[in-house]
Amino acid sequence: MADQSYQYDVIVVGSGPGGYVCAIRAAQLGLKTAIVERESLGGVCLNWGCIPTKALIHNAEVLETLHEAADYGFTFDNLRVNFGAAIKRSRDVVSRQTKGVAFLMKKNKIDVIQGNATFVDAHTLQMTPSEFIPDAKEQQVTSANFIIAVGARARSLPGAAIDGKRVIQYRDAVVLDEVPKKMIVVGSGAIGMEFSYIYSTYGAEVTVIEMLDQILPLEDAEVAAEVAKVFSKRGVKLLTSTRTEKVEVGDDGVTVTVKNLKTDAVETLSADKVLMAVGVQPNTDNVGLEAAGVKLDKRGFIEVDERMRTNVPNVYAIGDCTGKLLLAHVASAMGIVAAETIAGVETLPIPEERYIFMPRCTYCSPQVASLGYTEAQAKEKGFDVKVGKFPFMPNGKAQGMNVKVGFVKIIADAKYGEILGAHLVGPEVTEMLPELSLAQFMEITPAEIARTVHAHPTLSEVIMEAAHAVEGQPIHM
Amino acid sequence: MSTIVRMPQLGESVVEGTVARWLKSPGEHIAKNEALLEISTDKIDTEVPAPTEGVLLEIRAAAGSTVRAGAALAAIGSEAEYSAAQQAETQVGAPTDPASSGPNGNALSRGESSGEGSKNASAGGQPAADALAASAVAEGAPPVDAAPGGRAFVSPVVARMAAEHQIDLTAIAGSGLGGRVTKKDVEAYLQQPGHRSESFAGREPGDESSTAERDSVAAESTAEVDAGATGQTAVAPLGPDEVLTPLTTMRRAIAQHMVMSKRTSPHVTTIFEADMTAVIRHREAHKRVYAAKGIALTYTPYFIAAIVAGLRVVPQANSRFTEAGIAVNKRMHIGLAVALTHGLVVPVVCDADEKNLQGLARLINELVDRTRRNTLRPEDVQGGTFTLTNHGTGGSLLATPIINQPQTGILGTGAVVKRPVVRSSSPSLLPNADDSIVIRPMCYLSFTFDHRVLDGAQGDEFLTAVKQRLENWQ
Repeated sequence: MADQSYQYDVIVVGSGPGGYVCAIRAAQLGLKTAIVERESLGGVCLNWGCIPTKALIHNAEVLETLHEAADYGFTFDNLRVNFGAAIKRSRDVVSRQTKGVAFLMKKNKIDVIQGNATFVDAHTLQMTPSEFIPDAKEQQVTSANFIIAVGARARSLPGAAIDGKRVIQYRDAVVLDEVPKKMIVVGSGAIGMEFSYIYSTYGAEVTVIEMLDQILPLEDAEVAAEVAKVFSKRGVKLLTSTRTEKVEVGDDGVTVTVKNLKTDAVETLSADKVLMAVGVQPNTDNVGLEAAGVKLDKRGFIEVDERMRTNVPNVYAIGDCTGKLLLAHVASAMGIVAAETIAGVETLPIPEERYIFMPRCTYCSPQVASLGYTEAQAKEKGFDVKVGKFPFMPNGKAQGMNVKVGFVKIIADAKYGEILGAHLVGPEVTEMLPELSLAQFMEITPAEIARTVHAHPTLSEVIMEAAHAVEGQPIHM
Repeated sequence: MSTIVRMPQLGESVVEGTVARWLKSPGEHIAKNEALLEISTDKIDTEVPAPTEGVLLEIRAAAGSTVRAGAALAAIGSEAEYSAAQQAETQVGAPTDPASSGPNGNALSRGESSGEGSKNASAGGQPAADALAASAVAEGAPPVDAAPGGRAFVSPVVARMAAEHQIDLTAIAGSGLGGRVTKKDVEAYLQQPGHRSESFAGREPGDESSTAERDSVAAESTAEVDAGATGQTAVAPLGPDEVLTPLTTMRRAIAQHMVMSKRTSPHVTTIFEADMTAVIRHREAHKRVYAAKGIALTYTPYFIAAIVAGLRVVPQANSRFTEAGIAVNKRMHIGLAVALTHGLVVPVVCDADEKNLQGLARLINELVDRTRRNTLRPEDVQGGTFTLTNHGTGGSLLATPIINQPQTGILGTGAVVKRPVVRSSSPSLLPNADDSIVIRPMCYLSFTFDHRVLDGAQGDEFLTAVKQRLENWQ
C-alpha cells in the first residue's frame, strides 16, 4: 500500500484464530501489518476454548479407557486420578501454542501491540492498558485498513450472573481446582456437551439442561439421539425441553429451578457448580465502533459482506464478532478472504450460503462431526433427498477399538447427487469429516465416494459404506 | 479493489473472442477508456478500452488465446496493488507469465510454490495458503482452446447438470477457485433467457432420441451454430503433401454457420436477369454530385433499394421460420456481405426502407469503411432481416448464395456485363418492325430462399419486383 500517512497498511484487532491467521496472510501479501491483543495471543480458542479443552478431553478419554481396562484384560485396584495434573497438562499445551503464535508473528514481521484498543476514528486506535496487561503503553496507532476480530464472550441467563465460583463459564471450567461432586450444565451445544463429558468421566454427577427438545440442538436428530443414549448410559442426566427458571447461589452450593416445557412440571436441582453454556455475545461493545462508524446488527454483531467488508470502506470484520458461524476455523477462513481483499489479490469470497457447509465438531465421546443440512432441514428446504446411513458396529477396525456406537449419515440431493448434509457420530469422526467437506466443496457425490477405494481396515470405510447406502446398497449390511 | 476486465459480448451470437494483441503490459499505467487490447471475433475485430484508470496488474489471457465472453482478460488496480502482487509472487517464486496462464501454467506454479512451501512448513508457516494464492493469481478463466489435457475440472454434480440440460460448460464463467464452474454458476446460467440455444449447439447431430426436442428448439436457436457441424465428422490424418492451416475464429464460425444453414433450410435459388441501363444512367448522372458530398456511389444502394421494393411486394421474404409460425419483420434491415482478406462479415443497413438513395449510399459507405478498418461496432452486425451478396464485384456472373440464418432470403447480384439482348418491337405499335439485338448492361439476380417459408411463385414475384425497380430506376 502506498499510503504513507498511516503507520500500518493493516491493523488486526484481536489475535484469535481469525485475527492471527488474517495478520499472517496480510503480511505474506506484503502489507505492513500489526495485531492488537489485550490478553494473550491466540484468543479464546487457543487460551480458553478449543485447545485446552481438547487436552482435557483426551485426559477424559484415557480415563474412560482405564475404566474399561478389564475389557482389555487389565485389572488393577489402585487407580489414582489427579485432576490437577490434567489441568496442568492442558495449560502446558496452551503455553506452547501461544509461543507458536508469537513466533509466527515475529517470523512474518507483524508488530504485536498490547492493550485495549478503542477506535478514535476509522483510521486511528487509542491503545490503553488492559486488565490483563496493566503496563501496556498508552498510544495512538493509525492504519489504512482495520480488520476487527474481537470475538465473543460467554453469555448468561437473566438473573444468573456468572461469578466464576458457583456460576461459571467455559473460561472457569478449563481451570477448575477440583472436580465438583455435582455439576449442572445449562445448554447442550458443543461446549456444554464437551464439559459434561470431561467432568462426568472424572466422576462428577452431571445434569444437562436443554430448552429445546434434543441435546446438540443444531445436529441431526438421529445423531443427537445416539449421543444421548451414550451419555445416559454413562449416568449423565439429560433434561431436554427444560427451561432454567432460576439460579440461586447459596453458601454450600447452588440451586437451579427448572421447568419441563411439555409437562409444566417444576423441579429444583442442587449442585456445587452451574456451568453456563447458553451461547455467546459479541465483544463489540467496548471497541469504539461508533467512532469508526461501523454498523452493528440488532444482536450487536458486525455486518459484513462476502469479502468481510463492513459499511466503512477501510474496516473489515471476521470471526465470532460477525455472528456468521462462531467457529475458529470459520474465522480463519474469513481472515484469509479479508486480507486478500485488502491486498487486492484474487480471493474466494464466502457467500452467505457457504457457512452452512462449514465443518462443525463436538469432541465429546462419541464425537460428533457434521456439515450442511440435517435431514429435517433438507426436507424443509424442499430438496428431494436420498439418505445413506451406515453404523460403525460392523466395521472391523471399530470392533477392534471396542467401539459399539455411532454411524455415518449422508444426505444427498436425489436429482444430481449433491451432498446436502453429512452427519457423523462415533470414534474419531472429527478427523473423518474433511473427506466429506472436500467432496461437498468440489461437488463430488456419494457415487464417486462409494467408488473411491478406502483402505481396509479403517474407520473411513464407514463413509464409503454410507455412500454406497445413498446409491442403493451398502456391502457389509 | 482491482477491476477485472472481461471479454465483452460482441453481438448476440458471438460467444467467444480471441486476444489479438495486448497494447499494454503489466505494470503500465492506463487511462480510463484508453485502448487496452485488441480482440478478434467471428464477426468483428475491435479494441477493448480500459473500464477504469490504473495500473495493469496482470494479463489473464495471453495473445492468441480464445476465451468466452465474460471471461477475465486482465486486472487493473493501483500502483500499490501491483507492487504488492509482485512481492507476493517473489515470495512464492511463481512469476505470472501470461503465456503460461491457464491450467498448465497453473500446475507449474503450484509445483514451484509447493517446493517453497516445504521450507515454510519446516519454519512453521502456512505453505498451503501461499500455494493457493499463487494459483489464484496465475489463473484466469480457462481459455477455451487450452493446450491438450488442459481442460478445467468439472465436478460430478456439474457434469450431471450439463448432461441433463445439454450445456456447453465452456460458455459459463465459473465463480469457483481458478474459474471452476460450480452448481451455482450452472443454475444462474440456466436462469438466463436464451441459454437453450447454447444447449442446441452442444448436441450431436446423430442423436436420434433428442431429434424431436431439437426441432422444437430449432426455431429459437436457428441463429446459433452447431458446434459439431464444421462438416468434418472425423479428422483424417494429414497427408504428406498437405499443410494444415488452423481455423481462425472467423473461419470456424463461417464453417459452422454454412453447414447449419444448409441443414436448417431447404434452399431454392431462382434466377432473373436485369437490364441495368437505367441504373447506370442514373449513377453516371449523380456520381459527381454524390462525390462532392463525400459519398462514393456504387451499385449497392440501388440493389438495396430494389430489395426493399421486392420485400414490399412479398413481405414474407423479410422473415424467419419458427415452429410457431413465420415471423415476418415489419422493419427491413438489410445485411450486406462484405469480403475481407481472411473471411466475410455482414454489416447491416438498418431500416433500409426508410432511407432514400443518398441515405443508403452514405450508410453503406460508412459500414464498408468500418469493415475494412476493423472498427465495426457490435450493433453494426446485428439484427439483419434479409441479406445482399454482391458477388459480381469479383466478376462472378451467377451464384447460388447460402441463406444467412435465421433469415429467409438472400439476393445474389452478379457482375454487370454488356451483353447482346433481343428487344422485341411492339406488334401493336409497329406491326412490321423486326425484333432487334441491342447491347445492354445486364446483371443476373439470383434469389435463394427458404422453401419452408416461400414457394417458387412468391420467390419469382419478389424477384420480378426487384428487377422492375432496377430497370425502371428514376
